[in-house]
Amino acid sequence: MKNIKYALAAASLAGAAVAGTQAYAFELGVVAFQMSAETQARCANTVGEKAKELGWDAQVLNSNGSLETHASQLDNLIQKGVDAMILCMSKPVQFDGQFQAAKDAGIPVITISSGASPHTLFDVTPNEYVMAAEAAIYTLGSINFEGNILAQKFESNTGARIRGEVLDLVLSENPQVKLVGEHSMARTKSWQDDVRNGMSALILQNAGNFGAVWASFDGQALIIDDLLKEGGMEKGDVALVSIDGGQEVYRRIKDPYSMMTATVAIPFEDMAASAVEMMQKIAVDGVAKEDLVPGPYLFIPATLVDKTNVDEFIVE
Amino acid sequence: MKKLIETYGTALAGLALFVFLAIFANNFLSTANLFNVLKQVSFLSILAFGFTFALITSELDLAFANLCSLSAVVIGFLISSDVAWPVAVAAGIATGLFGGLLNGFLVTVLKVPSLISTLGTASIANGLAFMITGGVAFVGRWDQNFLYLGRGKIGSVPVIILFTLAILAVVLVLSTQTRLGVHLQATGENEEAARRSGIDTRKAKMIGLALSGLGAGVTAMFLVANLSSAAPQMAGDFMLNGIAATLLGMTMFTPAKPNILGTFVGALIIVMLSNGLVLLGAQYYIQDIMLGIIIIVSVAVSASVLKRAAFAL
Repeated sequence: MKNIKYALAAASLAGAAVAGTQAYAFELGVVAFQMSAETQARCANTVGEKAKELGWDAQVLNSNGSLETHASQLDNLIQKGVDAMILCMSKPVQFDGQFQAAKDAGIPVITISSGASPHTLFDVTPNEYVMAAEAAIYTLGSINFEGNILAQKFESNTGARIRGEVLDLVLSENPQVKLVGEHSMARTKSWQDDVRNGMSALILQNAGNFGAVWASFDGQALIIDDLLKEGGMEKGDVALVSIDGGQEVYRRIKDPYSMMTATVAIPFEDMAASAVEMMQKIAVDGVAKEDLVPGPYLFIPATLVDKTNVDEFIVE
Repeated sequence: MKKLIETYGTALAGLALFVFLAIFANNFLSTANLFNVLKQVSFLSILAFGFTFALITSELDLAFANLCSLSAVVIGFLISSDVAWPVAVAAGIATGLFGGLLNGFLVTVLKVPSLISTLGTASIANGLAFMITGGVAFVGRWDQNFLYLGRGKIGSVPVIILFTLAILAVVLVLSTQTRLGVHLQATGENEEAARRSGIDTRKAKMIGLALSGLGAGVTAMFLVANLSSAAPQMAGDFMLNGIAATLLGMTMFTPAKPNILGTFVGALIIVMLSNGLVLLGAQYYIQDIMLGIIIIVSVAVSASVLKRAAFAL
């Protein structure tokens, strides 16, 4: 019983400490669906940092990849009465009820890489179809549009699924390139292990019989890169192409011992900064949303990064 | 006094937490937020009631969250296939119940320890959920009558809260006021003595695990209706929270024994804490730390029963 008292006392102290730091400021709720994914963490953290630079009170929440947790967190923020919300990689259809409730409560919502909703201001996103086409064509180009490739897909995420479907479309138009093995990532909570197990089997099965590997996002590609190195491959033996971008990926593109060949860099930090900037203009300065973003999307351009331009992206 | 604290200490601590949040967390006491908290408690508590029944018979069910996800996927699949939603719901609930019965069969007939058998069925349920969905969630703007179960309100009261209170009343009576409840308790407390006194302990354990599966199926119905979607791991987070609610419940009312009222209050404390931390402006990692503390403390307090359930099979 004493233990319980100590725990609850600790809880009270933690709450008091948090409450003690509160002061009136523009309150921004930031929710990332799955912060164990680097891109979502980058997105949410940048939103939080940019908001704090403006003197806002930014509260960052992580839904741990759980639909119900995400819904609860949105409900809680609405009840808290935050002034605005920015959501990273949310799901407008599943959380239609929460988005509607936010709109009814007068809370403006901007989403990032989530998809459009009639209840939000707009979605800040790269054009997935354009990025997917660039990555797919680059992959096939790396083997001169002839030979075999492996693919690591991920159907549970809308953006990653689109990338896979565009790859299939590009492959259908280039029958001289064969997809000799593909693995679809299933478990979102232990996905690293899932990718490693699935792709190691495919790499062993097709050893020496493929010239490129396509991955639906860079986190997968980094794991595959390690597997290829463990298999004794060297730069130039196999091309490894993916999408997302990030310092580790850029470093590996430059690394003479890495198979990482190219990525399509999504400027998550820029997207996050744009979301905060737009929110300030709309929710604080009172600029009409239509004057800034006429439609449901604010498209942010992404850039293909390979050895020819990687130096421009590496932050020393 | 000591007995009073042992019996009601956690509940009183929960009350203290409520008072603390009422004072320090803006909007905590608003009607809308209190209903919001109770709505969030609903999903967790119904699922945890099932787990509590299994634990009452000294059996661990580690499959309940995955069975809930599988049941949800079955409901989502059938509704997306234009099957009438009541049929889909019945099939989903039946899926959970069947999973519970399978666990009961493995434990009571094949004598596989519940710790192992339910881990196995959890894996099977997970695999089936991915097989049905291909990893892609069923999402739709489904029949409003079905969504009403999860999103509907009577006045300003979410209907799911009313369902939950009704379910709480039923399972409370079942566990404490019926012959079956007495048999479940007796089986869990001392299986040999219960058997010698004429109780069919195998049947009791089978029922305990089946009720756990049933709880998973019923929760799945509300989850799918609330989110208008069904994904293969949509109840994944409930595993830890459901166990935590039950263990926390074992520290009150009938100390060191799993009990329905304790589970409900345990779920209420967990959700209240989660909601309160958001209202207080706490960052995301604080919530995980607090949940971890709650689990450790409640396990420490209720360790004897857990050890019996997990290792003395």
